[in-house]
Amino acid sequence: MNDQGTAQRGNGLRVPRVKRGRGMGTILPRDDGAAPLDIVIAVMAFLAALALGASLIADRAALGWREGLAGRVTVQVLPPDSGPPGPELERQTRAAIEILSATPGIVHVARVSHEDALKLVEPWLGADALVADLPLPNLVDASIRPGARVDLAGLRARLKESAPSAVLDDHTHWIARLKALADVVIWSGYGILLLIAVATAAAVTFATRAGLEAHREIVGLLHQMGAHPGFIARAFERHYFFTALIAAAAGAGAAAILFLVVGGLELAGVEAVPFLPPIALKPAEALWFIAVPMASALIAWATARISVLAALRKIY
Amino acid sequence: MVRFENVGMRYGAGPEVLRDVSFTLEPGSFTFLTGLSGAGKTTLLKLIYLGEPPSRGLVNLFGQDLATARRQDFPALRRRIGVVFQDFRLFRHLSAFDNVAMPLKLAGRREQQYAQDVEELLTWVGLGGRLDAKPATLSGGEQQRVAIARAVVARPDLLIADEPTGNVDAEIAARLIRLFGELNRLGTTVLIATHDRALIERTQAREMRLVDGRLVEMRLART
Repeated sequence: MNDQGTAQRGNGLRVPRVKRGRGMGTILPRDDGAAPLDIVIAVMAFLAALALGASLIADRAALGWREGLAGRVTVQVLPPDSGPPGPELERQTRAAIEILSATPGIVHVARVSHEDALKLVEPWLGADALVADLPLPNLVDASIRPGARVDLAGLRARLKESAPSAVLDDHTHWIARLKALADVVIWSGYGILLLIAVATAAAVTFATRAGLEAHREIVGLLHQMGAHPGFIARAFERHYFFTALIAAAAGAGAAAILFLVVGGLELAGVEAVPFLPPIALKPAEALWFIAVPMASALIAWATARISVLAALRKIY
Repeated sequence: MVRFENVGMRYGAGPEVLRDVSFTLEPGSFTFLTGLSGAGKTTLLKLIYLGEPPSRGLVNLFGQDLATARRQDFPALRRRIGVVFQDFRLFRHLSAFDNVAMPLKLAGRREQQYAQDVEELLTWVGLGGRLDAKPATLSGGEQQRVAIARAVVARPDLLIADEPTGNVDAEIAARLIRLFGELNRLGTTVLIATHDRALIERTQAREMRLVDGRLVEMRLART
């Protein structure tokens, strides 16, 4: 080796020392026409990440609702249909508290204050003076010891006997409806993810076919020289794997930023839509976003491989 | 090595370009394929290097009947054949070095193992200073030499060349024929399609002649 960029061979030949194999890493020439596929995959990944985020939020919300309401019962002692609530309402409320406290499995009984009851109706009715005069029922909240089975039918019977105006609500109906709603959101999210996966596979299939057509001469020559179909397919697989990985990472990253911004606004006290669960993603949930580019890349890899091998089978 | 029995070939619904062609290439033989343009030389070569299936007849390659051979065995059969195409068919996006190295890469060899062989072969065909040149920057003759180097670099069992000296001067042509002869002496079976009568006359080799798709003459060239 010397400074003139030449190397001495054992046979006396002097050949230029040039960098070899620069094109061999990519058997196919670098393709400048892949930008539309990049954009399609990035948009798909963005939508997939939104659907995934929505599913995660719905799942978390449903869990929170279930945990919040499961294991609790509420007794409403209704005021009379007409006239002011008299001492009878108070007597029935105390009777309900006594019955609840004496019921095996119930560990904590607390009366909901009138002020707290007004806060519960505030989102629907407001907080003006007229609402304060409404004859609200007296509420008694009770917790069930985890794992304990409370005889709700017996409890209802005893309440009816001592406090005829008391209504027992174990929240099962409400929980079931919330769970059904959350399930719809979650499965809709999964359905959207599936559709996006199919669309991504279709886009890569079209791009692979176009790539095969554009590189027909190279593919034909490699085939003629005895390249194994797997060798040719790997060149395409590698190209579309990294194309999808980078594009999908950009799309999922944009979605993550969107969730981050909305979550930040929530933390700052800006609530875009009341009653919706918090949109801010927890770190463990955000990790799921990494799955989007990885899944996209795997879909692109598998689709490209299948397309190329199918096309090569048609060549003699 | 190669055996044809009553082979016919037509493209689509067109006329037969090869008719009832029968011949055998023995291992280690050196043969010229001659005939006028359009006689079917290139088609015959295509059938041998597995570029097209025959329309009829039996083609036996390396002891395997191609009609019954498994498709997954074809790549290995193709790697035993070196081909110099009439239009060179180089990889336009790869350098001369990488073009020549491709058969070795396809055979599973690593660049460290073949780099020196490839450089020396390219130097031998007069392209030692153009290792990194892309085909577009090479002349027709230089491209042809790259194509020849690529065909012989893996020391194939069978070498097929379609007009390999058509674009080079007499000195380089003689050098290339010496290269083919050297390979032949090392055991490679060589089949060269050519119009070059002088080349045939200079070489002690058998000649097969195609006329209108029929193999009408098989004789030993002048020794």
